[in-house]
Amino acid sequence: MAAIIEMQNLTVRLGNRIILDRLNGALSGHCIGLLGPNGSGKSTLINTLLGFYEPIGGEARIFGKEVQHHLRELRAMIGFMPESDAFIADMSGVRFVRYMAELSGLPGAEAMERAHEAFFYVGLGEARYRKLGTYSLGMKQLAKLAQAIAHGPRLVLLDEPTNGLDPEARQRMLQLVRDIRDTGEVCVLISSHLLRDVEECCDQVLILKEGRIAALCNLEEERKANLKFLELEVTQGNGFIDSVRALGCECATFGAGRVRVVLPDNIDLRQIYRVAAQHEVQIRRMNYRRDTLEDIFLKAMADHQQPTPAGSKNGGL
Amino acid sequence: MAVYKRTYKAYRGPLTPAWSRFTVLSRYGLKNLFDSRPFTAFTVLCFVPFMGWLIATYVVHSTTAQLAFGIRLGAGVVGNMWFLGFLVTEAWMGFILAAWGGPGMITKDFANHSVQLYLSRPLSRVEYLFGKASVLFVLLSCISWVPGLILFFVQAGLEGHGWIWDNLWLAGAIFLSCLIGIAMVSLLSMAVAVWVKWRIAATALMFAVFFLFPALGAVISLILRTRWGHLLNFPVMIMIIWGHLFRITPARPDVTQPGFFIVPVWAAWASALSVCAICFWLLHRKLKAREVERS
Repeated sequence: MAAIIEMQNLTVRLGNRIILDRLNGALSGHCIGLLGPNGSGKSTLINTLLGFYEPIGGEARIFGKEVQHHLRELRAMIGFMPESDAFIADMSGVRFVRYMAELSGLPGAEAMERAHEAFFYVGLGEARYRKLGTYSLGMKQLAKLAQAIAHGPRLVLLDEPTNGLDPEARQRMLQLVRDIRDTGEVCVLISSHLLRDVEECCDQVLILKEGRIAALCNLEEERKANLKFLELEVTQGNGFIDSVRALGCECATFGAGRVRVVLPDNIDLRQIYRVAAQHEVQIRRMNYRRDTLEDIFLKAMADHQQPTPAGSKNGGL
Repeated sequence: MAVYKRTYKAYRGPLTPAWSRFTVLSRYGLKNLFDSRPFTAFTVLCFVPFMGWLIATYVVHSTTAQLAFGIRLGAGVVGNMWFLGFLVTEAWMGFILAAWGGPGMITKDFANHSVQLYLSRPLSRVEYLFGKASVLFVLLSCISWVPGLILFFVQAGLEGHGWIWDNLWLAGAIFLSCLIGIAMVSLLSMAVAVWVKWRIAATALMFAVFFLFPALGAVISLILRTRWGHLLNFPVMIMIIWGHLFRITPARPDVTQPGFFIVPVWAAWASALSVCAICFWLLHRKLKAREVERS
């Protein structure tokens, strides 16, 4: 898949502080998660992609177009759901979304139709004529999503979309994000503190720390990479562990027959079975240990804290 | 009842021209203002002076009407002071209209943090300001230079004998003086609105700028024994500019209004243009700060 967002030495300074420091990387997932602790530069990156902040160095490209030079064109292709409450309180929901769609360039009649569709799509169809000021927090979040997608953007930027939502509303929001992603017509960038939200929706993750890229990885590939990490439960068998070690695997035992094995690249799973058969050991359970996003995140944070060797590439995991 | 599919689909239809996006702001702005019945009623009231002047212009040229009303007016009555009087009346009504409707357009956006939503679309800060200002421009134009020019052409039609060619400069004066007044009032009402997010406070501040600043200016002039303190008297500055455009000179004995030519014309122009420039700078600066909202 072609890169949706590309960054080349992207550097943004606010006041005297460098907020984004020479970011390099290409984001190409259908749904991209933007993670990082508070103050890591997530919102600044989104605002830079929207053209609100001008980089002092490097550049950002969206769909191959440089942001600062094609601002108007790109903004027409982007839907933005801000983190904070942003609406006009004394306007009805559908009128507000129509207004925003018209500002994005849709003619009045089409904007009205799309506003109704967007409201039904996010599940607020029955409340669309109510004034936005009377909406609950969850409804306001959904209304913000409706205005972000009403004009049919190619890229939707969601800044903390599940902030303040109860579990049910959160699931509904995430389901909508997955639905939008699965249409294949639009790419989604989600900035969130919540690892589970990103894990449930995203296929690519960009982790920022102190304005630098701590990790940029494809979640699926990252998980696949850990297929070599096995968790076994075996009957006690003398010599089995030693034989597995002799194959070149790293092993750790945890009592009650529980063993963790790291398979080197040249070792096939069948060889483990063969060793077990030789030692007449029953393998009662075998699981691949899949890395959670939390593992990836913590690893990225830990790696980033260690001094970077000279010449190492920013963004490596 | 329409049934809408619960699926997401991209939009592939036509788009409006990029230059016309600010008109969306104008349309919605005007609609919002006229949703208020008192505002609509006051706007209608603003046309009463126009009707009055229109009737008076007819009466000046109709001996039958003059006989009916028992008055006697010469055709020479309709001149620069006639049109200036009309514009001054409409200007005060327009000021109330702008102070009432202008700040609300901006304060709503600022109070609800929606500025970032506007500016994340293909709309620049200048276009946003232009769109909002155009609401007041349309509204104030409808009660100032448009009826002013209608009066001018009615007078030209009734007077005949090449009056229009001798007084064509009056049409330019009507248009230009209204343009300056509208620009100043619109920018000022929006600038105070961005500083005070509460509409009522913004309206009050607008009145304060027009009525308390002159007092402040007078105090400064009195204490420092200078006339330059009057530069803070914005209504008088506008009057000086209008007086100049309508070719009213201090030597004219019929000019009796106080405040006329209290400072030189160039100073009045400088004061008015400075106010416009400062307001525009403030608006631009505040908008830039509001592009990005922190929760």
